[in-house]
Amino acid sequence: MVRVKYRYLIVNYLYPEPSSDQKHPSHDAVPQLIQFHRPTPDKFDSRALYQAIRQAVTELFGDYGMGMVGQGLKINYHSTATSTSIVRCPQAHYQMAWAALTNMTELGKLGIPVVIRVVRVSATIRHAEEEIIRRAKDIILRAQGGEDTVGVSDIVRAAAASKRREDEEMVVEESDASDDESE
Amino acid sequence: MYYDLNVPWTDNQREMQRAIAFLDELGYDVVALTHTLSGKIPSDHTSPIPATLPFTVPSRLRILRRCTLLLTDSTTNNKLPDLRSSYDIVAARPTSERTLQQACQTLDVDIISLDLTQKFETHFKFPTLGSAIARGVKIELCYGQGVGTQDANRKRLVIGNATQLIRVSRGRGLVFSSDARSVLALRAPADVINLASVWGLGRERGKDGLSKEPRSVVEFARLKKESYRGVVDVVYGGEKPAVVERQQKGQKGQSQQQQNKRKGDNLEKGSKKSKVQSAK
Repeated sequence: MVRVKYRYLIVNYLYPEPSSDQKHPSHDAVPQLIQFHRPTPDKFDSRALYQAIRQAVTELFGDYGMGMVGQGLKINYHSTATSTSIVRCPQAHYQMAWAALTNMTELGKLGIPVVIRVVRVSATIRHAEEEIIRRAKDIILRAQGGEDTVGVSDIVRAAAASKRREDEEMVVEESDASDDESE
Repeated sequence: MYYDLNVPWTDNQREMQRAIAFLDELGYDVVALTHTLSGKIPSDHTSPIPATLPFTVPSRLRILRRCTLLLTDSTTNNKLPDLRSSYDIVAARPTSERTLQQACQTLDVDIISLDLTQKFETHFKFPTLGSAIARGVKIELCYGQGVGTQDANRKRLVIGNATQLIRVSRGRGLVFSSDARSVLALRAPADVINLASVWGLGRERGKDGLSKEPRSVVEFARLKKESYRGVVDVVYGGEKPAVVERQQKGQKGQSQQQQNKRKGDNLEKGSKKSKVQSAK
């Protein structure tokens, strides 16, 4: 049986700059890791994201790109609390959608500066889900200070960091292997 | 290991610290802070970037110091070798075709970095760039200027120039780096690789441009700086390890001993069992 093939992009929103309401000095007490991974405003819902992606694709690739990507574009999952989304796009042209996301500098029309990072390209939504759960656990551990606290020996910390990097390196490779899996 | 060899240096400590922390978060391992020089090099020039930064740096991240020299005139840069003493990497940014040719063929630099946001009068030619690549000098593509702006014209110029360079250099000897004026123009390695593949370089070559090629830049620069004529380098001269190291070694030994103990416990248990068995 033939089915339409998609790619699922797991998207993370990172905020390298302090937000305008948090600029006063007490804000410095918040660890930088949490500042970077802070929640996205609720105003930026899945519809706003959909519109923003469409606009970015049109900006970068014009009508041709919109025609290629627009058909299969869908927001499968959008969580403002964890700043994570799953974006579905056609398998043949997922790179276009990815490049458009890379070129975005603001959250839709809200004007909040953001760096959008695609953390995984997956062929099935199940793998995307598993990856999101793994990452969420990972970041909670890091925020609790598994990696950066003083007192933990350097070797343990370095090992944790290098393992994290290894996990992050497999952005696309693994998903190609799981290509033939049925949904 | 991912490299970002062009992060502009600023005096603003908070901003610098934030940028470095963010680069670590994105997954880079080696970062070069860039100081840009223009015009004539003064004879007593020292790097404004301190060797150890005044704030805490993530433990995994290695920080290098780099100097980019703006080449406006082909005669003013005879003091270029002096820069090696105060920087880890020396790069040149040619502004005209003549200086580009000079940089590619004769200048003793590690990287040739081109300002992709400007319109070049002539097309790049393979013999020019090829001679640089044959000498081991890498060509740098800075994506930050194109990705981080809303200005459509700049974006177009960056994409156009980048694809040109990829075509002319035949995909060889390219280094991707950010040259990000603000933190917002930094992108994660995977995103940059995808960008490279959209620009027509391909995924594998794009990955090389973030890992293999910049690594060779860093290592060659280190060899040029530290070794004898770039050929002989003393890796270990047979010195006795310092006292501090010894202490560390002692700690390691202890931990190993502890591990051995655990193993030993098991063995003892095992041996006891065997003894018991033998007694039976």
